[in-house]
Amino acid sequence: MRFFTAAVLGLFVPSLAAASSITSQQAVPADFKPPQVFKNTNLVRNTNLEKSYVRETINVVVENVDKSPQSDYYVPFPTDVFDRVGGFEARDKKATDKGRFEVAVTEPVPSNGIQYFIVHLDEPLAPKAQLTLGISYSVLASLTPRPATIQQNDKQYLTYSFSAYVPSAYQTVTQKTKLKFPSTDVPDFTETDGLKSGADPERKGATYTYGPYETAKVAPGTEKPITVRYQFTNPVITVNLLERDLEVSHWGGNLATEERYWLRNNGSELENQFSRVDWTFSSYQKAPTSAVREITYPLLPGSSDAYFIDDIGNVSTSRYRPGNGKTAANLELKPRYPIFGGWNYSFKVGWNNDLSRFLRKATSGDSYVLKVPFIQGPKMNEGVQYERFVLRIVLPEGAHNVRYETLEGANSNGLPGKSQIHSSLSSFKTYMDTLGRTTLTLEVDSLTDEARDAQLIVTYDHSLMDALRKPLTLFGGLISVLVAVWFVGSIDTSIKKR
Amino acid sequence: MSLNQVWEAASATPFQPIVAKDSQFTIGFSLLVIAVITTGLFGLNRSLASIFTLGIPASLALGFGAVFTICAAGVYV
Repeated sequence: MRFFTAAVLGLFVPSLAAASSITSQQAVPADFKPPQVFKNTNLVRNTNLEKSYVRETINVVVENVDKSPQSDYYVPFPTDVFDRVGGFEARDKKATDKGRFEVAVTEPVPSNGIQYFIVHLDEPLAPKAQLTLGISYSVLASLTPRPATIQQNDKQYLTYSFSAYVPSAYQTVTQKTKLKFPSTDVPDFTETDGLKSGADPERKGATYTYGPYETAKVAPGTEKPITVRYQFTNPVITVNLLERDLEVSHWGGNLATEERYWLRNNGSELENQFSRVDWTFSSYQKAPTSAVREITYPLLPGSSDAYFIDDIGNVSTSRYRPGNGKTAANLELKPRYPIFGGWNYSFKVGWNNDLSRFLRKATSGDSYVLKVPFIQGPKMNEGVQYERFVLRIVLPEGAHNVRYETLEGANSNGLPGKSQIHSSLSSFKTYMDTLGRTTLTLEVDSLTDEARDAQLIVTYDHSLMDALRKPLTLFGGLISVLVAVWFVGSIDTSIKKR
Repeated sequence: MSLNQVWEAASATPFQPIVAKDSQFTIGFSLLVIAVITTGLFGLNRSLASIFTLGIPASLALGFGAVFTICAAGVYV
C-alpha cells in the first residue's frame, strides 16, 4: 500500500508554504537510450475506443536478457503524447493484489523527443527469469473528428492513428494489437501489406486485430502507421479544468462539496448555423447526437441541497432525485444550451452530506480520519476526460499533521502513481476564521472518469482548543466590549471638587 | 500502519457533531436570544459583579449561538 505523508504542519503559516511536495522528472543524457536488458517475449495491446478517449492495456511477458538482476523497465512515449497520458500504472499480472509498481518519469530525451515512464519492479528480475507486466493508461485528446464539420443531425466519425508495432524500448518477439470499436460502423481502416500472412487486420464484429507479428528482428522503436475511422455519434466531453472543493465542518457536522467545470465538446463542429427546430425534433425522437444533451450526475446516498449554477445564475433545467437515503441520489443537469463540437460551457454544482458517514475519530489522541471519493463527476456512457483536476480538501481551522493516501485495489483505480499527484498545503480564510482553514490541495493532469470510484483517505489532528477557537473568539469579542462598557461607565466624570 | 487501516480501526467511532443538523437553528437561535437578553440586563446594571453573572454567560451564549446559527443558515464553518 502506498503511503506517504503530505506534510506535517503546525499552526504557523510559514510552515505551510514549506510543506508542499514537488514531483520531479529524472534528468537523462542528450542521447539516452534505455539499457537493452529486457526482451518482450510476447506482447498484446488492447486498445479500447468505446469511449471518447483511448484506453490502452498492454500485457507483456518480459524476460531479463542481462547477466545481472534488473528492476527498471522503460515505457516510451513521444513528448507530445506523454503529457496526455493519464492514469498510467503497471502491475504484475500474476499478483495484481500486490498493487502497482512504483513509477517514475524522465525528462524528454533531447535527441529524439521521447519521454519514458520507468517502472520500478518491487524485486529485481533475475537473469533469464520472466514476468508478466500489465500496463494500463489512457491517452487524452488523441481522437480527431473527420469530417471536422458536420450537419446538425449527421453521424460523427473519429479517427485514431497509432503504430502497428507497439512502441517499446526493447526488442519484441511477437506482438498484436486488438482494437475495440463502439460499433461495427468502421468505414476506413489501414490494411497492412507484408507484415504477416493473411488478412491484416482480422475483423470480428466490432473488434479488429492487427497481428500477430513476428518482430524479433525489428529494431525497437520502428513504426508502422495505422489509421482507423469509426462512427462515434456521441459528444467528446473534455473538461479543461475541474476544481473540486470538499469542505469539512465539525461544528455543522457537514461535508460540503462544490465542483466547478470548464467543459468543451471536442467533436465535429457544426457546418451550418444551429437550428433550434431540428434540435427539438431530434431531442423528441431521442436520436443519437454529437452534442451534450444532458449530464447525469450520480451522488452518494444522503446527499442534499444540490444546486446547479452557471455564469448567468441558477439553471432551472435540472432535476434532483434525492434517493431514499440508502440508494444513490441522481442529479440530472440539462445545460442552458446543447453543447455541440467546439462549444464551451462552464458551470458549478454542489451539495451537502452528513459528515458522520465520511469522518471517524481515530482510536488514538485527537486524530480524525476522513474517507471521501477522490473524484465524482458525471457518469456518461461516452466517458469524460479531464485535462486538469484540482481537488481541495478544506479541513477545519487548526487541523494539523495532515497525511493522505489514495486507496488501491486489485484493479486499476484510474489514478496515476503518487509521483504524478502534486500535493500542497495552504491556508484558506473564510467565514468566522481567524487563522484560516488548513487546506490540502491535490492536482492531477490528464485524468478520465475511470477514476470515479477512487477513494481518498486523509488523517489530521484537531484538538479541543482548535475546535473551540471560533466560539471563544466571539466570546472574547463580546466580553471585551462589556468590560469596556463597565470600565467607561465606572469612570467618574462628574464636576466636583476633588 | 496504512491510513486505510486507521480508517478500518476507527469503525466503531464515527464522528458525531455536538448538535445534529436538525437542531442547529433551534439551539443556535435560542442561545442568541439568551445572549441579547443577558447583554440587555447587563446594560441595566453595569457593575463588576454583573460582568461575571451576566457578561460571561452572554458572551458564551453569543459565541456558541452564532456558530450554530451560521451553520443552520447553510454556511458550515
